[in-house]
This record gives sequence, structure tokens and C-alpha cells, in this order.
Amino acid sequence: MKLLHNITAKKPVVREKYDKAEVVQCYLMIGLQIIGLLLVTLYPICWAIRLAWYYYDGVLSSTRFVGFENFITIFTKDTVYWRTWLTTIKFTLMKLPIELPFAMFIALLLNAKIKAKGFFRSVFFLPTLIGSAIIGVIFFSLFDYFGIMNAILKSLGIISSSIDWFADPSKAMLVLVLGSVWSTFGSNVLYFLAALKNIPSEVYESADLDGASKFVVFFKITLPMIAPILQMILLLSINGTLHVGDFVLVMTAGGPSGSTHTVMSYIINSFVPGFAVEQGVNIGYGCALSLVTSVFMTIIAIAYMKISTRLANMY
Amino acid sequence: MKKTKMKNLLPVYISLFVLMVIVLFPLIYTLLASLKSQMEFFNSADKLFPEKATLVNYKSVLTSDRIDLKTMLFNSTYYTICCVVINLIASAMNAYVFERGRFPGKKIIFTVFSSLMFINMGSITVYPLFDILNAIHLNRSLLGLIVIKLLGIPIVYIVLVRSYVATIPKELDEAAKIDGCSFFGIFWRIILPVLKPILATVGVLSFNASWNEYLMPSIFTLSNPKQQTLMVGIYALKSTGESAANWGLMLAAAVIALIPVLVAFIFGNRYFIDGITEGAVKG
Repeated sequence: MKLLHNITAKKPVVREKYDKAEVVQCYLMIGLQIIGLLLVTLYPICWAIRLAWYYYDGVLSSTRFVGFENFITIFTKDTVYWRTWLTTIKFTLMKLPIELPFAMFIALLLNAKIKAKGFFRSVFFLPTLIGSAIIGVIFFSLFDYFGIMNAILKSLGIISSSIDWFADPSKAMLVLVLGSVWSTFGSNVLYFLAALKNIPSEVYESADLDGASKFVVFFKITLPMIAPILQMILLLSINGTLHVGDFVLVMTAGGPSGSTHTVMSYIINSFVPGFAVEQGVNIGYGCALSLVTSVFMTIIAIAYMKISTRLANMY
Repeated sequence: MKKTKMKNLLPVYISLFVLMVIVLFPLIYTLLASLKSQMEFFNSADKLFPEKATLVNYKSVLTSDRIDLKTMLFNSTYYTICCVVINLIASAMNAYVFERGRFPGKKIIFTVFSSLMFINMGSITVYPLFDILNAIHLNRSLLGLIVIKLLGIPIVYIVLVRSYVATIPKELDEAAKIDGCSFFGIFWRIILPVLKPILATVGVLSFNASWNEYLMPSIFTLSNPKQQTLMVGIYALKSTGESAANWGLMLAAAVIALIPVLVAFIFGNRYFIDGITEGAVKG
């Protein structure tokens, strides 16, 4: 959060005298980014916000102003869109309770005085480096009807007959969650490790002298001491999971019958060329959806920050 | 004394080993399955180890007309190199200017740059990007996407490098300034050489991100399959409907696509891990 700190940090107000040559060189060095800011960042955002009030299917002549119509449709008729929000929240609620304790557990193991720490750390970080398209291919093959996962689960006696993983909504969701956990838990292991390193060993030693059990040490010492970083990890994870989009497309393509579409993957799948099946979709409606979505995402992020700082102040 | 310590740590080692096998399983599976022949795939897809390991998939993936792997490898390499170079130059220069430069509007520009991380209209904005490319006579292509990247603001990398620049003693700049070095001269002669470690981090992170990028390259190469990157091409194989016949090819191609990432990770391990940890603490 140093970024925010940098922005808000108050510096003494002194009228600076600028060196002309330095000013010119500064602007030249960041010139491309300033042009880019206007051209490929702000212009597209303004374009989308404006189009949200239009009907636009890619043909200029049929474009017309429709006022709030797109928004009214979103809030009164578009049940599919709101279902994708439910799916997104369900996905988050399934993923984080698996991923964070798992990452925490590995970090605790790695924090012990073991040999080959660096090796193990690298191994657990490895999946994070693999592209989503490749993960999609690998998991599709792993969970194939005739594939290895069905065989393993059958031989362990967990299931009695092969499962068609991608044909059932809740099972497809499970595969999606597993793949997603696999692809992101590695960074969280590193964050937790960094947090654990900050705890002075004297704290543990004195707890040891007092004869505290491992559970007590974890819940009374470790967890409270890493609370600030835990808060940051949670924010990053929630943010990442809410924004998950192309990962869904490569894992399940939203299937079966759209039941695993998250908000982002639904918008890509309905309005982005190459993913949208229908020709002539109302792009204006897509803009309105994107606008509503980004407002909600921002509200959630701000609400989380507000709530967690209030909680932090209480303790 | 030492013996009891080993004994205490034994459960830790065992747990770590078991977890390691579980975590690596998808990769081990992919590697072993890519060594199976087409026949074996149909008859015993449920076995982990191939009865007779063969490189036939690798041979045919390099010659098959279903997937033009060599062109894809070229496209991915070209795209990745361009993105890495762009990110290195942009992050180094922006970081230096925002940390050391004194110019009107500095604070507000940086605030706008960093707040863009939070304002995100999502992928619907590809339409205006296409319009911009049309206006400068570039079509939807990999080159078009690279131009978009060139104009992008890699804010995470900028923040990462900026905090590194802040640790360089200011006396170095001032001494060079007294010697008559210009603002850019100080960057080029003094700052840039010192930035090597952090730029290595930016390099490996952006290498990995661009090599693995799927969504944007697939949108921009849609009408032009000759320009598909590896990620786009391999995934396209899956959705052709006859994927069962393509299993071997797909997994062999996946292994080939993984090799550069693994090599980068083996050599740049430290930079990856530093980058992820620092990026989170600073971002």
C-alpha cells in the first residue's frame, strides 16, 4: 500500500524553481506514456462510458441514442448477468477458503529450520508461472471422462464410476476452483513467508518457555502478528478472484450452459470479437454492463478497505 | 542434540514432499502423457506412465498441418521480446523521472497513472483500440497489439523500479550534475547501470506475463491465424472439437510452450521471487 501512501503523503509546500532543460527532458522521457494515457487508456474509457447510452452494433448508420434503456434492461430484465455475479461470488467463496489455508500451511512448513528451503519454495511457486491457456489444456486432459483423475479417484474408492466433470455445473465449478487455486496459491505462499519472517524469534522462544502448544502459538501469536499482511493478501485475492475472466474461458468456456460464467468471462464471451458467437450484438449494452460492473467492483474494493481498517482499529 | 532436531523436522519434510508431489502432479502427468502414442492414449488414458515412451507426438507437432508450431514459436518469441523491451525502457525511464525529476504536474500525472490500476472498463475497450489502430493504418495484428503496449503504462513495474531508484544516494546525481551531466545523462550514466538487479526482475516478470498472455493476442490475431502465438494456437486445438484425436499433439505442444518459462525460472529464480514479494509489499 506504499503506492497510496506516496500519493497522499504531504510534502512541505515550497515553490520550486524548475530547471527548464530538466523539465523538457522529463516530459520527453515520459512522453510516450502521456500520449498513451490519453489515447489508449482515457479515450477508450470515455468511449465506453458514452456508448453505454447508445444502441450500437458496429454499424455506424444504425447507431442511436437510447437514454437509460440499456441500464433499465440490466437492472430489470437481465437475469443472466446477475446470475454471473452469483457465480463469481460462489467462485470466490469456494476458492479462498481452500487457497489461503493451503498457502499458509505450506508457508509455515517452509518457515521451519529446514534444508533445501529455496528448492521447495521454487517448486511451490512453479505453477504460478504457467499460462492460463496451458492450464486449461492440462486440466481438460486430467479431468477427461476417460482420463487419469477419474481412474485415480476410482482406485482410491472415492467415486464408484467415472464422472463427466465438465457436464455437471457443480463439478465443472470444482475443476475451475482447483485449477485456479493451483495457478495462484504460489504467490500467496511467498507473501505468507515474507510475513512470517517479520515475526521476531524471541516471541516464539518465550511462548516455548511458557509451554504453549502449537495451536495456541499459531492462533495467539502468529495469526495476530501477520494480520496486516493477511489483510493485504485477502484484498489481493478477493480482487483477483472477482476479476477472473479469461481463466474461466480457457478452463470451462463458461460451460455447461453458461453455469460457470463469472461476470468478466460473461462480458468477454458476449461482446468481445472472437468469443461472441452472435453477429451484431449491441455493443452499447456491453458498455453499460462493463460500466455497472466496474462501479460494483470499485465499491466492493473500497468497502473491503473501509471495513478492514475499522476492524484493525478495533483491536 | 542434533539428532532430536532432525527427528522433529521429519514430519515437516514428509509433508513438504507429499505436497510437492501433489502440486507437481499436473506437470508430471503432462510430460508423461505427451510421450504416449495415439493408440495408447485411446486404450489406456487412465495410466500415468506410458508403456512405450515415444517422441512421435513431438515429431508430428513440428510437422503437422493441424498446428503450425514453428510459426507460433516465432510469433510468441517476437511478441515477448518486444513486450519485455518496451516494459524495461518504460519502467526505467518513468521510475527515474517520477523519483528524481522536478517538473510541473509531476504529482498529478503520477496520481493519474497509478489510479488507472483501479479504474478498469474491462475488455469492451478493445473496440476503441481497433478504431485507433485503423486511424494509424494498422490492422488487428500482433504488431498492432505491440503498438498498444508501447503506449501502455506498466504501473506495477514503474512502482517497483521507482522504489529502487529511491534507495540510490542522491549524492551520486549531484556529483554528476556538477560535472555537467544533463538530467538524461545522469539517468544514462549513473542510474541505469545501478538498476540492473531490479530491471532483471522486471525482465523476468514481463517475459513470463507476455509469453503466457492469452486474451489480447487471441483477440488481435483473430482474423489472421498466421499470427497466432503459442498460447492462442495450442488452446485453439482444444476447441476444434476433435480434441481427443489431438491429445498427444496438444500436450506435446504444451510441454514445448513450457520449456522457455522453465528455463527462465531456473536461471532467474531469485528475480521472480523478489519481484512477486516486493511487488505485493509495495503495490
